Amino acid sequence: MAPLKPGEVSMGTTIMAVQFDGGVVVGADSRTTTGTYIANRVTDKLTKVHDRIYCCRSGSAADTQAVADIVKYHLALYAAQHGEEPTVKVAASLFQEICYQNKSTLMAGIIIGGWDKVDGPSVYDIPLGGSLHKQPFALGGSGSTFIYGYCDKVYHTDMTREECIEFVKNSVSLAMTRDGSSGGVIRLAVITEDSVERMFVPGNELPSQYLG
Amino acid sequence: MSSLLSHEIGYSAPIEVHNHGFSPYVNNEGTSLGICGEDFVLVASDTRQSNGGYSINARRSPKAFELSNRTVIATTGCAADAKQLVEDMEQRAQYYVHKHGREMSTPAMAQVLSQLLYTRRFFPYYVFPIFAGLDAKGKGAVYNYDAIGNIECVSHYAYGSAAALLQPFLDNQINKAHQRGADTTAKPSRAQAVKLAIDAFTSATERDIYTGDWLEIFIVDSEGVHKLTRELKHD
Amino acid sequence: MSPILESAAGFKFDNVKRNQLLSEKGNAAPRATKTGTTIVGLIFKDGIILGADTRATSGPIVADKNCEKIHYLAPNMYCCGAGTAADTEFTTSMASSQLALHSLNTGREARVATAMTMLKQYLFRYQGHIGAYLVLGGYDVTGPHLYTIHAHGSTDKLPFVTMGSGSLAAMSVFESRWRAGLSREEGIELVKDAIEAGIFNDLGSGSNVDVCVITRNNVEYLRNYVMPNERVEKEQSYKFAPGTTEFIVPKPPATLSGEEEGTAMDVSA
Repeated sequence: MAPLKPGEVSMGTTIMAVQFDGGVVVGADSRTTTGTYIANRVTDKLTKVHDRIYCCRSGSAADTQAVADIVKYHLALYAAQHGEEPTVKVAASLFQEICYQNKSTLMAGIIIGGWDKVDGPSVYDIPLGGSLHKQPFALGGSGSTFIYGYCDKVYHTDMTREECIEFVKNSVSLAMTRDGSSGGVIRLAVITEDSVERMFVPGNELPSQYLG
Repeated sequence: MSSLLSHEIGYSAPIEVHNHGFSPYVNNEGTSLGICGEDFVLVASDTRQSNGGYSINARRSPKAFELSNRTVIATTGCAADAKQLVEDMEQRAQYYVHKHGREMSTPAMAQVLSQLLYTRRFFPYYVFPIFAGLDAKGKGAVYNYDAIGNIECVSHYAYGSAAALLQPFLDNQINKAHQRGADTTAKPSRAQAVKLAIDAFTSATERDIYTGDWLEIFIVDSEGVHKLTRELKHD
Repeated sequence: MSPILESAAGFKFDNVKRNQLLSEKGNAAPRATKTGTTIVGLIFKDGIILGADTRATSGPIVADKNCEKIHYLAPNMYCCGAGTAADTEFTTSMASSQLALHSLNTGREARVATAMTMLKQYLFRYQGHIGAYLVLGGYDVTGPHLYTIHAHGSTDKLPFVTMGSGSLAAMSVFESRWRAGLSREEGIELVKDAIEAGIFNDLGSGSNVDVCVITRNNVEYLRNYVMPNERVEKEQSYKFAPGTTEFIVPKPPATLSGEEEGTAMDVSA
């Protein structure tokens, strides 16, 4: 839980992942900042760590990229040595190990979402201290505080794929307009057994909502 | 604090000390110099205004001013304070004319400037002035001050962000410092002083990031105040 | 502050505490030359164009009026550096040598992503203490690639990028005028304008514009592509007459023979 170092690039972010029967939808805004300057307005915070496993990154850009790269390497090695795909749980455990053991030097809040043939779709959340939480849906980043109430109210356990996509779009959009550190476009990925489908919503085509 | 006590004082004093991080001073940087000749004086300043960072507030914000038809002042430091100080000086000069029916002499004005600065001994104007003019006999005089009024009469002086670059140059060219066998008593000619001022500023612009954009030169001689403007580099 | 006091990679932090003590007692640490800089890069129709100003500063003083900020990495890759001058210089030259060995080992031209990964991992290891802010551009077997790499080790892959203290001025030019499919001439013009925005509006940037055009099998390094800040001629000459400066003719120690005399210094200009 190291604070951001001076001049460090941060992802004051909105990220989320939602499970549905058959897959997971992960979503994120696209803003990366250094202080008040937007260093990247089209960032991809959804990072592939294996064929059917993605992570959503929040916190320090450098820390989360480094952690994701390490996990990506270990999962590739795991697949090669075991001759089978790693589960999302394995990926999440790897993330947790790194985040927990290095908690004093890292600023990383990560959500892992993916599909595997043991557990089907699953979502894990690793907040700043390095704890691991398996959840049907997870929120993260500075923007998430604005939408917990909305998400708890709207979410229900038997949502369809399309409902999940809409849920993520609406939630991230709401967070983006209230959180100054989130913004840009919405990036999405729908992870199922058969495919990973990448989508994005341009900043001028966000769902309609109250804008003052 | 009790309400009784605040009534006794007659006003409601703040109980807590709030630190808003407000700083009343800003250094707007830039450079000024003054050169004294036999029958003239010269002051020069660049017109770039910044605030110690990497951005430019204004490219043409003069910090040298004509005070009367025989005195000029060049400043550095806080531009807002400099403006106020110049207005104070103008007011004092006007008041003198009304009271005595004639203009204040140059040495008198130099002294007034010193006193104005010392008036604010414990909340000074953040200004480093170079004051120059012709005295009653038509001879040149250049004075420099610190922010609280310490006064010094000199042959030449440089203040500001490139002062450390210009002062040794002027010492060498005007006082002939480190020049064996040179005439150290001779004062520069008017043409020579203008050349030195221009070369000083084009050189300072090369190496000091806070100096640049335009150069304004004021020359005071028996005919009055003459102003020259020269473009400097804008990078 | 309690930094890691031991490092396997050659840097020693033993003196951090001593330096802190010294600076508290008024002995300031030596000031590093910073390249308060404008560096940029963009993707155009046929590849990458990099650009940089040429001013290096040490505090308010211009340390170098015409330094080179576009560094060579590999035959197909160049890298602009902002931040601490020494760090950008050593980081890029280290990466360059490693890339050369990598190419020799693999028998292939190195990829831009490889260089990017090497640089980010190196910088991440030093947690931002190596103050190198880079714009990396190159053309490899997979096409043109452009990255920014921050000192803490984060990277971004974008079609147009700027870095350094003049990055905001330069980005305003890119954000208003960049588009996909720029021609070579349009690209160079845009890069030049972006760097000039930094040169004239950012005090940390100045002097000339360097440009580097990287295409499929070619690199064109246009050193001092434009020079919009040449010094004006001085009003007069400052040549001193011979003998102006006093000096002492050194008397050499007596030689064995004791005959040789010291000779006067040649002072003819």
